[in-house]
Amino acid sequence: MVMARVEPPLPAWDAAERSEMVEDGWMAGGLLLNFESVPGEDVGEELPPSIEDPTAEELAQPPEDEREVAEEYLAAYFEAKPSGHLVDPQGLLATRERKDLEAFLAYHSGDSSIDLYVYVFGVDQRIPSDVREEEIVERLYSVGKPAAVIYYYVGAPQRSVMYLSPVITDTVSAAEQRRALESSVMQAFGSNIPFDQFEAFLVQMSIRIYWMERMTKGTAEETMESIPDGENARSFSRKKAVLEKAPEIPSWMKLVGAVMAAGFGGLLVLWSAVTWWRGRARFRFPEYEVEPRLGGSHAAGIGAVISFGSPAIPPALQRNQVPDYMRRA
Amino acid sequence: MFGDSEVKLRSLTDAAGIFRRNDRDRLEDEMERIGIVFPQVFVAVYTGSVGEMANLRQFGFWLLNRGLFEDVPVEKPNEAGILIVIDPDSKAAGMTFGYLLDPFLEEQDTFDCLSRAHVYWLEGRYTEGLLKCLGQLRKLLKKRSRQARRDPERYERKVATPVAVGDLVRKIREGNRPAVVKSEEGREVER
Repeated sequence: MVMARVEPPLPAWDAAERSEMVEDGWMAGGLLLNFESVPGEDVGEELPPSIEDPTAEELAQPPEDEREVAEEYLAAYFEAKPSGHLVDPQGLLATRERKDLEAFLAYHSGDSSIDLYVYVFGVDQRIPSDVREEEIVERLYSVGKPAAVIYYYVGAPQRSVMYLSPVITDTVSAAEQRRALESSVMQAFGSNIPFDQFEAFLVQMSIRIYWMERMTKGTAEETMESIPDGENARSFSRKKAVLEKAPEIPSWMKLVGAVMAAGFGGLLVLWSAVTWWRGRARFRFPEYEVEPRLGGSHAAGIGAVISFGSPAIPPALQRNQVPDYMRRA
Repeated sequence: MFGDSEVKLRSLTDAAGIFRRNDRDRLEDEMERIGIVFPQVFVAVYTGSVGEMANLRQFGFWLLNRGLFEDVPVEKPNEAGILIVIDPDSKAAGMTFGYLLDPFLEEQDTFDCLSRAHVYWLEGRYTEGLLKCLGQLRKLLKKRSRQARRDPERYERKVATPVAVGDLVRKIREGNRPAVVKSEEGREVER
């Protein structure tokens, strides 16, 4: 037992033998047994990459940020109060999309005491730092009908920014504004399509502005967080109807449609009734006294017999006639 | 040939073993449906080998007269039965019916029902063929029931007992006698 617990001794190099092998240049297991470090490869010194130094002109001119809104559009964006409610000088929206959204914003403007202006930017665009958005809102929207100004980034609704006219900022707190924006962004994320996101964002924002409007008038005692869902849905459907622009159906077509629907419904009911009645119908036979034949106490109605042995011959030819003696007298 | 005692069996007896469990369920449903639509009637199916020496017609006749169908209500006697016999060995099928349906079914009617199944039975698809056969039988019975309701005398005449010659002469004599009496009475009145 004691011997089994003693560990065997490790192998050790003989000094003379080891020196011989070192002289030969290779020693089997030398790295493991002598814990010698691996000799490093002879790597030449790394040279720094040859890059030309920037010129003096390049140093003088700051690098141009391509994501910034181009200077040519800045005037169209921020110089004056826009004539329409949708500001898209870069043409980021398709014509049809722009028309739909403009129609919606115009409807909102006619329905609400707070206008909604939307400035459209690209998904990763940045407003130049020398443009101060708050100052622009104060300058352009202090006078006249109060407005909510949205900087919307198409495809990135979470980057949206909201400003209110100074007239209503006192009434609608910053927290309420933030919640309105968050709510609209959440609605926008219901879709992956940028235009649908934009549309959902604006519809929700319009609803939120309706409640801001009530708060400014002092009619809304509750905050926007306590808006009942039913109200949201009602407002949503009301404003969504404008976007859909359903074509007007002539009254005679409605009448014809109603008559056809009624006729079809009547036929369906009639068919159902007939089917039900047929399903419940029972068929009886008059009972006659039949003279027993062939000694059969219950039956003597000998019917046909067919053979299905050959597919080449039709059943009519495979039919075995009833023998005469079995026929009724 | 087949025996004198009664034979206990179910309305669907698959002695030949040609129907699977699902097939039997489908067939029993259809047979039950016929029993509901025609409250006086029931349908029975027997599959089995009749034997080389036996006749399928004779076997059907014997079975419907001797059979005691356990799952058929007592108010439906064998007179109201329609029996279909299939012999898969000799590849033949026949139909027999009780006295209740005697006035309403012809041999041609039974042939029409069986021939609906012919194509299927040629391919060994006994269930499908039998369902087609029963479907045709249902249509036929409905038709006959309506016809019998409209014109019951037509079917009554078919089963009326033929009048014997002697009876006919007697009827003629009986028919003429009152007329003679009447004429004598008339003469007395005139006097």
